[in-house]
Amino acid sequence: MTAIDTPAPATTRRLTTAKAMAEGIALEMAANPEVFYLGEDVGAYGGIFGSTGGLLEQFGPQRVMDTPISESAFIGLAIGAATEGMRPIAELMFVDFMGVCLDQIYNHMAKIHFESGGNVKVPMVLTTAVGGGYSDAAQHSQCLWGVFAHLPGMKVVVPSTPYDAKGLMISAIRDDNPVVYMFHKGVMGLPWMAKNPRATDVVPEEAYEVPIGRARTARPGTDCTIVTISLSVHHATDVADRLAADGVADVEVIDLRSLVPLDREAIWESVSRTGRLVVVDEDYRSFGMSGEVVATITDRDPTVLRRPVQRVAVPDVPIPYAHGLEHAILPNTDRIEAAVRAVVGA
Amino acid sequence: MAGIVEVRFPVMSTDDPTAQGVVSTWFVRDGEPVAAGQLVAEVQVDKVSMEVPAAVAGTVHLLVEEEAVVEQGSVIATIN
Amino acid sequence: MTVTSPPHTSTGQAGPDAATRLGLYRQMVLIRTFEEALLRDYHADKSPVWDIGAGLIPGEMHLSAGQEPVAAGVCAHLTADDAVTATHRPHHLAIAHGMDLRRLAAEIFGRETGLGRGRGGHMHLFDPGTHFSCSGIIAEGYPPALGQAFAFSRRGTDRIAVAVTGEGAANQGAFHETLNLAALWKLPVVFVVEDNDWGISVPRSASTSVPSNAVRAAAYGMPGERVEDNAVEAVWEVAARAVQRARTGGGPSLIEVHTLRLWGHFEGDAQGYRTDLEGIADRDPITTYEATLRADGVLDDAAVTAARTDALAAVDDAIAFARSSPIPDPAQATAYVFTEEVPA
Repeated sequence: MTAIDTPAPATTRRLTTAKAMAEGIALEMAANPEVFYLGEDVGAYGGIFGSTGGLLEQFGPQRVMDTPISESAFIGLAIGAATEGMRPIAELMFVDFMGVCLDQIYNHMAKIHFESGGNVKVPMVLTTAVGGGYSDAAQHSQCLWGVFAHLPGMKVVVPSTPYDAKGLMISAIRDDNPVVYMFHKGVMGLPWMAKNPRATDVVPEEAYEVPIGRARTARPGTDCTIVTISLSVHHATDVADRLAADGVADVEVIDLRSLVPLDREAIWESVSRTGRLVVVDEDYRSFGMSGEVVATITDRDPTVLRRPVQRVAVPDVPIPYAHGLEHAILPNTDRIEAAVRAVVGA
Repeated sequence: MAGIVEVRFPVMSTDDPTAQGVVSTWFVRDGEPVAAGQLVAEVQVDKVSMEVPAAVAGTVHLLVEEEAVVEQGSVIATIN
Repeated sequence: MTVTSPPHTSTGQAGPDAATRLGLYRQMVLIRTFEEALLRDYHADKSPVWDIGAGLIPGEMHLSAGQEPVAAGVCAHLTADDAVTATHRPHHLAIAHGMDLRRLAAEIFGRETGLGRGRGGHMHLFDPGTHFSCSGIIAEGYPPALGQAFAFSRRGTDRIAVAVTGEGAANQGAFHETLNLAALWKLPVVFVVEDNDWGISVPRSASTSVPSNAVRAAAYGMPGERVEDNAVEAVWEVAARAVQRARTGGGPSLIEVHTLRLWGHFEGDAQGYRTDLEGIADRDPITTYEATLRADGVLDDAAVTAARTDALAAVDDAIAFARSSPIPDPAQATAYVFTEEVPA
């Protein structure tokens, strides 16, 4: 025992995805007084899916604001404030509520920069909770990123991990364009939802950016590529680990992280190498993300595909309530595994 | 001389002192170093959650598993 | 509360002074001159068969003849630092709020020198220099005005936002959401409703459950006043109160003006449904105001001629600028979606 204190060893600081997202917001709010957050139940409640935990206590009600149930009005408010140079973050509580305010989003937020010939910027973030699996039924379980990605003028990011949740949030706030930030309830690490071990992980304490428009390789592999996003990254990785342990296939998992811009180069690089593609998409199958990923390959050179593509998506049906029905239509690990086996011929 | 500091499940329900809860998430692994103030666990009684930070720096030892039912106020980890 | 024109006493205490009155008249003449030029140029090359997409000014055209008093009366109290959001019928407000006529005309003609480099067109005018914007979606210009007011308020200024829409829009959801939030958060906004009696072809009596939207203002916790006779000075007086209230932290209020759509909803509208066209020229607010000002000795022949001459000079210059400006390069049709180029 010496009189001099020995320095403490470095710690491994972990956060849930929700806390990481909130930490990213807090760092940017501390750095820039013109960043503010508004939405329903984002104040004292901390966001019903934990997106703003601790922010009201840190920044007060002038910067973390509960709104009435008036999405057109408060998202429009965010738009107007952004055109004046502020950096608002507006939360659409469930993406399924887009119907009540879609005009402000796709006809205003997304188009003002273009219509003004680039003279007016809209540097705002629209956060929204997506995803199912806990029996919230047809109007509260959707992903709908295909809709937002389809409409021009807004970037779309969908983090799957705590590290990316923080980094993409910081990038989104700093971006001068409107960014739709879609967080899956099942990746948030909420104590009141089914346990997800991948929802908690090491997150650096400082501010850092994850580039918008760049995919990451969640798991490298050689036999087959799974291209996916959001919670499905976790399921795909679980399937890939199991198939590797069983000696069936060495599967590469690409986490797109962004849909607009879409990292077509990353998709191409992987699929042109493995020759086998499975797309996992928790949004509706037709006319959406999964088709776009396939077109990324077929537009360029369909002959790199050694087998037809397998798409594992939610069929074109409203999401059912009963647990068994819901899990039959979600892109669960059984369906993902069957798809991989089909393209590798196992 | 380093002592052993107990990390207790917070008393969250004062109406029912014998209420039980769970450690819903451990944010540290057994034997890891922790800093003072670092987030160690999130615990839950009924629908209410609470964060448990480390009171001191040191090495943490976990005494209960995630989702195991424990009494509020009980010792769930130690730091030395 | 319904307001008709204030009495014009020699002391002028109820209304604007002579210089202001002359300014209101000249502003309205400028607007009308511009709209008449567009009327002419819009239709000139769409004959013999009228094709909406043909000609130097293609697309829909919604002109504001008859609604000049709203623009002149309200915007007289604003500076370029105040925000205005308008509708698919925006020109009168754009001009009265000080938008550069050349850049306005060039945008309407779809030229590279236009406010939006030809990307927006007449319903999507954005002028950061005057914090002016407009939208082609009914009532959806109301919510962004809240945000501009919010930014001004947060930055500790006395700048305000004026949000303008029509009586038909006052039945759209965004209108009601916006009024509620503005009053709840006491934002510095003036809401203006231009009641020109017609939502395209549907009269207000067939669309609106209450006699005026000034009544609806009370439902949202803010004062509301209705100007009944499309008189620019009545608008000016009511607007003075509303603007002052917003500037001094008194929160939002609503002004409804019973105004007049002299021409069709859009150019090419045959207006067969319209029942009030007989004698409509007699209700032209500029003609009426001219007569009033002549009677009060504010206007004489020379001043009337000067107003018209000056307006023509400015409008002719703007239109000539537009006509001679370059057409946007089709190879750049996908530019300006984001602030940086993004791979397709």
